[in-house]
Amino acid sequence: MNDTDRRTKLMQFAAGAVFLAIVVVVALIVVNSGGDGGDAENIEGAAEVSSALQGIPQNEMVLGDPKAPVELVEFGDLQCPVCKGFAEEILPPIIENQVKNGEAKIDFRNFTIIGPESVDAGAAALAAGAQGRGWNFVELFYKNQGTEGSGYADDAFIEAVAKAAGVEDMAKWNEDRKLMRAEVEETSQEARQLGFNGTPSFAIEGPGTKGLETLGTPTSTGAFEEAIEEAG
Amino acid sequence: MSYPSEDTLRRATAFVSALGVGVATYIAIAESGGGSPVCLAGSTGCRTVAESSYSHVAGVNIAVFGVIGYLLLLATAFFANDLARFGAFAVSLGGFGYSIFLTYIELFKIEAICQWCVASAVLMTILFLISATRLIAYGGNELQAAR
Repeated sequence: MNDTDRRTKLMQFAAGAVFLAIVVVVALIVVNSGGDGGDAENIEGAAEVSSALQGIPQNEMVLGDPKAPVELVEFGDLQCPVCKGFAEEILPPIIENQVKNGEAKIDFRNFTIIGPESVDAGAAALAAGAQGRGWNFVELFYKNQGTEGSGYADDAFIEAVAKAAGVEDMAKWNEDRKLMRAEVEETSQEARQLGFNGTPSFAIEGPGTKGLETLGTPTSTGAFEEAIEEAG
Repeated sequence: MSYPSEDTLRRATAFVSALGVGVATYIAIAESGGGSPVCLAGSTGCRTVAESSYSHVAGVNIAVFGVIGYLLLLATAFFANDLARFGAFAVSLGGFGYSIFLTYIELFKIEAICQWCVASAVLMTILFLISATRLIAYGGNELQAAR
């Protein structure tokens, strides 16, 4: 084979390799561009959550300055799509303003109404809270929430959320979450005693309230702002 | 069109590949045992990327594949024949393509940037450009290769 033939062959191989590479890269991107939640292999938004919560104290499941005069209590179920909506649309401005400026703190308490996986997820959130990552867990869970009742919230998914939430000691987290199932049942019972029958439900306590007062489910950020102001 | 001599292109390949071996080895070592490379300016991107499911393929850290790729490219710099030229082109094309995919994943899926991964992607892009030039300029030409 002379030089010209060799060169032609090489260029044909090279062109084929480039074509193949383009096909593979495009296929990889298309395959990975999906993601309708509930995928343990693909937990999204960890950096976004971490940045939104950066600098805010977390004490177990309480987000905000422990000395904040007003405590907003959210009774939620991690598998509940409406709770996800609240976490993504209504509560962020409250966290950004009233929580960050020390006016209020938010306590997430489990009120499991959807299924046994909600208890698993809730206990896992509490175990993450024991390592200062409770709210990262809750927010990430909501961000990656799958279709209700699809069985996505299995151990693999819950563990992937915990890792992405930045839980440092996974062995301890694993032990803690077994012990914390009872606490999930307790707060669910508390929610029922307060008269709630759906999630999310809210209660508030502050200098302007008589103990823990129920708010029900306010449907706007403004309603929460008003409630915090009145309780403060 | 005039091209740099093949010796120059081979030396450039050796230099950039050696840098790549260093970067990929650092990432692989830093991530072994559940750690992550240290990002500059206090960024948490390296940790986020290291903890994502995309950092491993079949249980193997992708930085290990990077080390192997850069070593292969380094090896091609020592030979002036068509196998080395096409080998360098094919390996760097694979590395370049995968770097595009990983950059997409960092930007749109993990939503975090690891500066060391960006450095590796830049090095792989440079190696692809050098290897493509080498193949186009000297592929199939044993006489010129002897220069």
